[in-house]
Amino acid sequence: MNADPELITIPGRWDFEYRYFAGATASRFFAEIRDNRRIMGTRCAKSGRVLVPARSFSDAEYELTTDWVETGPGGVLEVFTIVGTKFSGLPDPPFVLGYVTLDGADTAILNYISGVDLTDLDVAARILMTRPRVSAVFKEAREGRITDFHFKVEQK
Amino acid sequence: MKEEVAIIGVGQTQYRRQHSNLNTAELVRQAATAALEDAGLGLDAIGLIVGGVAPDALAGINHLDMHAISRPGIPYFRVNTGGATGSSALLAALSWIHAGRCKAVLVVTVERMGHASSAQKIFNSIFDPIYEKDISMSTISMVALRATLLMQQYGYTLEHWAGLAARNSASSMLNDTLENPRFFTAEDVLKSRFLAWPIHALEACPTSEGACAVVVTAKSLVGSRKAAWILGARGLSDTYAIGDRLHRPEGSLVDLVTLRRSAEAAYRDAGITNPREALDVVEIQAPFASSEAMAYPALGFCDEHDCVSFTENAIEQKAGIAINPSGGPQASNPVSATALIRIAECAQQVRGLAGRRQVDGVRKAIATGQGGATQFSTAVIVGNQQP
Repeated sequence: MNADPELITIPGRWDFEYRYFAGATASRFFAEIRDNRRIMGTRCAKSGRVLVPARSFSDAEYELTTDWVETGPGGVLEVFTIVGTKFSGLPDPPFVLGYVTLDGADTAILNYISGVDLTDLDVAARILMTRPRVSAVFKEAREGRITDFHFKVEQK
Repeated sequence: MKEEVAIIGVGQTQYRRQHSNLNTAELVRQAATAALEDAGLGLDAIGLIVGGVAPDALAGINHLDMHAISRPGIPYFRVNTGGATGSSALLAALSWIHAGRCKAVLVVTVERMGHASSAQKIFNSIFDPIYEKDISMSTISMVALRATLLMQQYGYTLEHWAGLAARNSASSMLNDTLENPRFFTAEDVLKSRFLAWPIHALEACPTSEGACAVVVTAKSLVGSRKAAWILGARGLSDTYAIGDRLHRPEGSLVDLVTLRRSAEAAYRDAGITNPREALDVVEIQAPFASSEAMAYPALGFCDEHDCVSFTENAIEQKAGIAINPSGGPQASNPVSATALIRIAECAQQVRGLAGRRQVDGVRKAIATGQGGATQFSTAVIVGNQQP
């Protein structure tokens, strides 16, 4: 037997199909976006904080949320990144994503950000670093998903 | 702490991009047998094995620990808190010894991500599939988002991130567990492409495989062995959603509330009131430079007002404490093992067994663990003197 064999690698691929159950609260959140172009939050009964995206309970307090509150469509871009490299299975760069605190919300929501020229990433970053105002832009064909909208930086 | 406990054995494989000459169980066996040999104990002395493996999908083997880590005739369970998996596994081991269920525990962690050809796609799958996964989040963008807040809030610049990365790179050249440490300067970092602004390619930890194991025992088994005594060991969880942590009184997304509270409790356990004076070495589980800077105030090394100047001293190795003498996770970050490696490195420093990366006269060292968008934090303090 060869003491130093040629090393063999076995090819593999995980290819499972799933259907993720959004639950009643997220389903209503998405239906409001799809049918009414409204981004709704839910209020934590204990802390009074308005959670966006809507949740049936506050993770911090472990208390049920009660009433639904309309937020946005404007808000503040709190943090961002500009993805500059192609990663297998993710979209082509460059693209911006960030957390936005919508007017009337106490938590921030993640989405794609548009409205900034990405020719020079450092220049774009300087603009995005000023915590600019952004506004939700809704797709024409909406299907009840988080990707039914994104945020666009408002021109000053 | 109820009963004094020490690390008396450390076993580490080489850390490299891929171990194509070893299957996963063989990789684990190298680290486990090295740790047992260092401890001078056989498997028959081990009353529990705790396995640490983060997402299975990185290896592409579901429950890879079942064949690679557990041993016949010994109780076993697995821990997974993302990047904090290794230190969480150690905390679990301490609980068993403190509860009197056994005297010796073998903690084994292994990372097999070299199998994966699309790691960032797998990391995207750890995010909430309802609200966040579809926005192409990955672990790199998750860190980049927070780095932009640090830059807004405290005035950090791209040069700070590059400087820390270069310092870790320079330190890593002395770490003989790394097969191919990468040397680069801050200028090299700044010239490399952006993965996700403000993170340059050379700032990011490389794909890393390897296994790390430690033997933890009650005082009665320590005898005359070289021991790293556990002086304090704490961990805490935070709320899951990143967006929920931006506006809250206890601290924002970059304040690492759970690390701060874990460290404060561990300092109390260890009787430490001035960490910068009491500690000689810190190993920070920070796969990116901004993650390391975020940990400084949480560990009590500086406050919000002087965190940037502390970072500048840390870049110049003038912080008064040796930071990541191993090169830290920026040099090698086997995800499932990385937080245990930080503890193992601290243990070897206080035992005086750290080889070329040994810092002179180390008495006390602290290791951090961070997992799941800093949802999980741990702080473990080891010392060369029995408490």
